Amino acid sequence: MLTRSLKIGIVCPYGWDTPGGVQNHVRDLAEFLIAAGHDVSVLAPVIDETSIPSYVVSAGKPIAIPYNGAVARVLFGPIAFARVRQWIAQGGFDILHLHEPAIPSISLLACWAAVGPMVGTFHAAAKRQKAIFAIGPILEPVIEKLSARIAVSEAARATLTEHLETDAVVIPNGIYADRYRDGVPKPQWQGNTLGFIGRFEEPRKGLSVLVDALPIISRFAPDVRVFVAGPGDQEEVIKSIDPQLRSRFTFLGKISEQDKANFLASISLYIAPNTGGESFGIILAEALAGGATVVASDIPAFESLLSHGEYGELFESESSTELAKRVIDLLRNDDRRIALGKAGKKHAQQFDWKVVADQIFSIYEMSLVSGEKVRLASENRAWSRFIGRDQRGDD
Amino acid sequence: MKTSVFVIVFMLIFIWYLTFLATRLDRLHHRVETSWANLDGLLQRRAAVALEISRSEIADPASAMLLTAAAYQAREANIENRSVAESGLSGALGLLLADGQSSQRPAEVVLLRELSQLTDKVRIAIALHVDAVTRTHLVRRKLIVRIFRLAGTAPLPITYEFESDVL
Repeated sequence: MLTRSLKIGIVCPYGWDTPGGVQNHVRDLAEFLIAAGHDVSVLAPVIDETSIPSYVVSAGKPIAIPYNGAVARVLFGPIAFARVRQWIAQGGFDILHLHEPAIPSISLLACWAAVGPMVGTFHAAAKRQKAIFAIGPILEPVIEKLSARIAVSEAARATLTEHLETDAVVIPNGIYADRYRDGVPKPQWQGNTLGFIGRFEEPRKGLSVLVDALPIISRFAPDVRVFVAGPGDQEEVIKSIDPQLRSRFTFLGKISEQDKANFLASISLYIAPNTGGESFGIILAEALAGGATVVASDIPAFESLLSHGEYGELFESESSTELAKRVIDLLRNDDRRIALGKAGKKHAQQFDWKVVADQIFSIYEMSLVSGEKVRLASENRAWSRFIGRDQRGDD
Repeated sequence: MKTSVFVIVFMLIFIWYLTFLATRLDRLHHRVETSWANLDGLLQRRAAVALEISRSEIADPASAMLLTAAAYQAREANIENRSVAESGLSGALGLLLADGQSSQRPAEVVLLRELSQLTDKVRIAIALHVDAVTRTHLVRRKLIVRIFRLAGTAPLPITYEFESDVL
């Protein structure tokens, strides 16, 4: 067993101070590794350099580009590349952990610039795209430098095998399960209540599916109420709701972690009607950890997270009637609902950071077998040694 | 004049591409060696744990015999026969543990837990190694690599056909 403290370099491809799943994952992982006694440095694009934690190194301001159907805040170009090289040269890292090395950002640059033990984590799950097949041959020699690849879900792994013909080990995203374990049920959220957490304005989060299902649900469960938590402008959404049913919706805005735990412990059912674009479904894992019984759309990420319905009910994605049917069944069958919630809570423990970070760390160990350190690739090239070129910023 | 400049530039790019490919191959061979060293180490540890189990109270005499033989075979096999031998050991361990012998003694619980942790790691190590080997084979099959003998004297990595269901 490796017990010595490691010097770990993590590269986050997206703007550190913009919201996103990859950023949250990198932050939690870095903080967990630091708490475990390792020396961690995170390289990330940063917009506001005054408000970053001490372990983050800025690689410059991110550029917003449309990528894969959304706006991605990434960073590349000669200046960024120079910073990446400098960070690697000065870091003296035992291992590099690159997130999303297959998108055009600093992770890819770091993978290009470095040799030695490197681990890559692939988050995205995308449909088959011609563009990516065209990029494949360019990425291949870079990606194959990684000594190990991690995919956060079966969906992400399938994307990787399809697009880059390489396999990956599946290690799920981590959650802090104990933060949600001991939520206190609050009377105002109890009863025949449905919960939803997320940026509800985004169509892919699927709140409209739930809104459309409510007329049917309220026919069978007249006292049903819906609580929506998460940041966003509620006016637009309220307008789309049938006036007779508006009173059943309560928008809570952004809620604290403690409130989230209480919320999940109180509601009867947690609804995840996402229509796509989800690779892992971190919020679903959190809902399970909080003991909520989950009804989720059958998109691949949720299907594998819930083990095909074993730990939560699945309905046909984008079908309001199917959702309504499942909800009514569960509201009428308390035994089944409670049993599902209990099974889910147990299942969610495997997503706890303690378990997940352990798995990630054993991948690190496997990559460290060669006993090398991370170096700049150019130092290896014959001509660099011949000319005596040394671009390292040893200052 | 113009064409000769063109030819020189082309030659330079071509030579750069050759060194690029050679570096890439070198790196891949290195990756195969690392992943093999990792897998080999884990398999040796697994064989050791298997031997310990065979001498513990968990195993009856018959399975102990079977397990000991399988573990020795796995340890002594050369690289070509290794995957067959290791599959044999997996099978022997599987037979023993499938009987649902849930031991209560702390020493044996520890042994079994160590085995299951090792098994998880072996599974990952196999995936990593297989990926490295396939990649290397893919690049070595390229025509240009074969014509210019870019792989040099490095032996062709051996595909490790371990069953994915180790236990």
